[in-house]
Amino acid sequence: MRELCDHAVAAALGAGASYADARVVVRRSQVVGTRNQRVERLDDSETEGIGVRVLVNGAWGFACDRRLTADGARAAAGKASAFAKAAPGGHARELAPLEPAQGVFRTPVERDPFEVSLADKIELCLRAEGALVHEDVKVTSASVRAQREHKVFVSSEGAATEHELVECGGGIDAMAARDGLTQIRSYPSAHGGSSSQAGWEYVESLGLEREAPRVGEQAAALLQATPCPSHVTTVVIDAEQTALQVHESVGHPTELDRVYGTEAAYAGTSFLKPEDLGSLRYGSEHMNVTSDSTTPGGLGTFGFDDEGVPAGREPVVAEGVLSGFLTSRETAAKIGSGSGGSMRADTWNRMPLVRMTNLHLEPGEGSLEELIAGVEEGVFLQTNKSWSIDDKRLNFQFGTQIAWEIEDGRLGRMLRDSTYTGQTPVFWGSLDGVAGSEEWVLHGLINCGKGQPGQHAHVSHGASPARFRNVQVGFKQ
Amino acid sequence: MSEALELAGRLLGAAESEEALALVHSERSGLARFARSEVHQPTLIENDVLELQIVRDGRLGIAASNRTDDEGMRALAARAAEAADSAPADPDFPGLAPPADLPEVEGFDEETASLSADDQARLAAAAIDASELDLYGFFTSGVTELALASTTGVAVSQPMTDASVLALAAEDGASGYAEQTSWRLGGIDPVGASAQAVEKAKHTRGAVTLEPGSYPAVLEPPAFAELLLYFAYDAFGALGLLEERSYAYGRLGEKVFDERFSLADDSLDPRGLPKAFDFEGTPKQRVELVEDGVLTGVVWDRTTAKRAGDGRSSTGHAPPSSVRHWGPLPFGLSVAGGEADSPQELAELIGDGIYVTRLHYLSIVDAREGVITGMTRDGTFRVRAGKVAEPLVNLRFTVSVPELLAELPGLTREPMLLNQSAYYDERYPQGMLSPAVATTRFDVTGVGSGPGV
Repeated sequence: MRELCDHAVAAALGAGASYADARVVVRRSQVVGTRNQRVERLDDSETEGIGVRVLVNGAWGFACDRRLTADGARAAAGKASAFAKAAPGGHARELAPLEPAQGVFRTPVERDPFEVSLADKIELCLRAEGALVHEDVKVTSASVRAQREHKVFVSSEGAATEHELVECGGGIDAMAARDGLTQIRSYPSAHGGSSSQAGWEYVESLGLEREAPRVGEQAAALLQATPCPSHVTTVVIDAEQTALQVHESVGHPTELDRVYGTEAAYAGTSFLKPEDLGSLRYGSEHMNVTSDSTTPGGLGTFGFDDEGVPAGREPVVAEGVLSGFLTSRETAAKIGSGSGGSMRADTWNRMPLVRMTNLHLEPGEGSLEELIAGVEEGVFLQTNKSWSIDDKRLNFQFGTQIAWEIEDGRLGRMLRDSTYTGQTPVFWGSLDGVAGSEEWVLHGLINCGKGQPGQHAHVSHGASPARFRNVQVGFKQ
Repeated sequence: MSEALELAGRLLGAAESEEALALVHSERSGLARFARSEVHQPTLIENDVLELQIVRDGRLGIAASNRTDDEGMRALAARAAEAADSAPADPDFPGLAPPADLPEVEGFDEETASLSADDQARLAAAAIDASELDLYGFFTSGVTELALASTTGVAVSQPMTDASVLALAAEDGASGYAEQTSWRLGGIDPVGASAQAVEKAKHTRGAVTLEPGSYPAVLEPPAFAELLLYFAYDAFGALGLLEERSYAYGRLGEKVFDERFSLADDSLDPRGLPKAFDFEGTPKQRVELVEDGVLTGVVWDRTTAKRAGDGRSSTGHAPPSSVRHWGPLPFGLSVAGGEADSPQELAELIGDGIYVTRLHYLSIVDAREGVITGMTRDGTFRVRAGKVAEPLVNLRFTVSVPELLAELPGLTREPMLLNQSAYYDERYPQGMLSPAVATTRFDVTGVGSGPGV
């Protein structure tokens, strides 16, 4: 693989590139899904190829080839160089300086997920699904996934890195219906569960079968619950939904390519400006957000990003003040800094983009119970159901699967159809408590979309439950 | 025989199985993405994804690879066989599709297929050069081929072309949007799209806010199509119906929308992005989903048809196996046009309200009731006295799509083809034919940022 990358980089330089990098990726993925006690998905996929990125006369070019041969490597380099020449830019592109990296990173794995038989994976799903059963639950589903990716990266500056990354994940869902009303509950997260960069031990640690009876019962109970009223109140948000709030309203707006407008046509831009760094009040003093590509188990954990930048840990928001952006070498150069190492490509046939790695809301103090105890009247929101945020990442609206009234510091009635909405800096400014490290949970999601052609990123977010004051719950009419 | 079908045949041979389906999904594409009037992310993709489905005693195993050599195919066959052997039998497994006569469809254009990277860059540059504002977006074209071969005798393939231009003309405080898609290069005009985006952007300067509330609205085709797509994937698929969770459950045969609203799924229509068969090899059928406001049908694949147990058959809407848990999908939605000549004429029909060009980041709040939230962007205006008036900031909406469709003062006559693919994973041309629509109810629940970058 290293040799193929070398061929590609040499070919690109020969074709006139001033900079080139090549990535060979070999990936295997398994998904097992069951639904209503039938096997719904039983997929085992492999993909491999080489992607070559070049800079010719200040213009980027990217092309790829599925053939892992010298011919394939050279062909990709040639096409990338030709595309760059065909679409010249108006000015030179500067890359932040970087010491060429050499290194290998492998996910620590206790149990290789591909050593676990498909039959055992199916059996796990069917058992967990079986435990979701309830009279009013019409659809039960369970899924597990595993992925192994071998990646080699070489740049024309002398970087040469290698990764062997292993991911696993799983989740369960119960959909209840009666009299035309439907409700859903999921564990450990909605939208396919949660994943981690780890071996099969992560899936076993989730305890899908153990949690299933509660999930099924809550789905059914929601059919009898009161609709969440519309009002301005105090909300306590569970760790999973807080993680998604961080993702959408902190992670994406701090991607520096969005700040500079390169995602304007699709994913959107940002309400932040480069000059806001170090001065913009993002939230209250309780808000500390860190980008950390070294987090054990994080889906964004690596040795080096897809430009060869070493992994690291950087503050993004410190005590409520914007302290860092997520950067590439090109965007970092624009603000006069070194790259923070956030360039990641979906796979071999996509160009790297500025992406989140692992972005965490740092824990505060105390427990979830203590957060709730500090609320005279409010709502406790749990597990994402819907999510939407505007193109500058200001106005957001989230729905959660379940909620409870809080009265005099205690949980009261269960509520259904709960949503909350706000404006990013105002909302984070109302943060008045984050639970402590004992409540801090790492959630891994695999469906973060960005780029054209589209790319999925796998990212993790650690968060504890958090409390926000004066939040609009329900729809403001 | 096409190269893709030949590959599918070789893969079927490598399966050495009595019951198997080989699928080849080939892509040759180029996308010249630009921002601030410069191409910044040009991507050329060539790939062939081989998928093998092996069936053993009603047990289905699926594996995929992009290796086309003999050793790669043998390894793929071994993994698919292992998957099949691992699965319990599914009593609802319908078996592989039998061979069938395919409808003759258009959807392939030699000129589009022959576009080189130079051409793609040139067409992107043409759009950029035509804009007096910074332009963001892309020009893309590609050739996709789907080929299936099975032990039941299916041996089908279809090459498809598509070309799209997306133009967002923008500056600080102003942005306008336009897009064009066709399976023929001659069906799109990058320069025209660019000019349209600039013209729209000019009118968005000085955007003002709006009080939340329920407003009559005109939705241009990009806005209406995206909203309808989010609703339709859940509402008009058979799986949601069978599982009693979709809007259609318990409502088929009822008049639930304005009688001006008729919707079909029609992948045979040459105005769209035509397809002859689905991912099971079943011929595509036109399916009437809504006729004169009456909910009349949903789309089916072989699995859901068998599960329904009423002698029903597939309508040719099986999705790729990677999303088969979503059930059959309406990939070729087509809204019947109305009588208005233009969106401006629709503004006259609503008199006072809002005008929406494009939506952003939609999410389903309640699938059963068709409640969807999202934002407007790149061209939101007030309508006053039947005219498009002052620009508005981006609006948060949370609408019940059935309520939005309950009273439609009008639709434009000619549906427009909207690209519905964001080009994730393997390219598969996907579009919707939609007119602009006027509705008496569009629920604004908040305000967001202003137009512009």
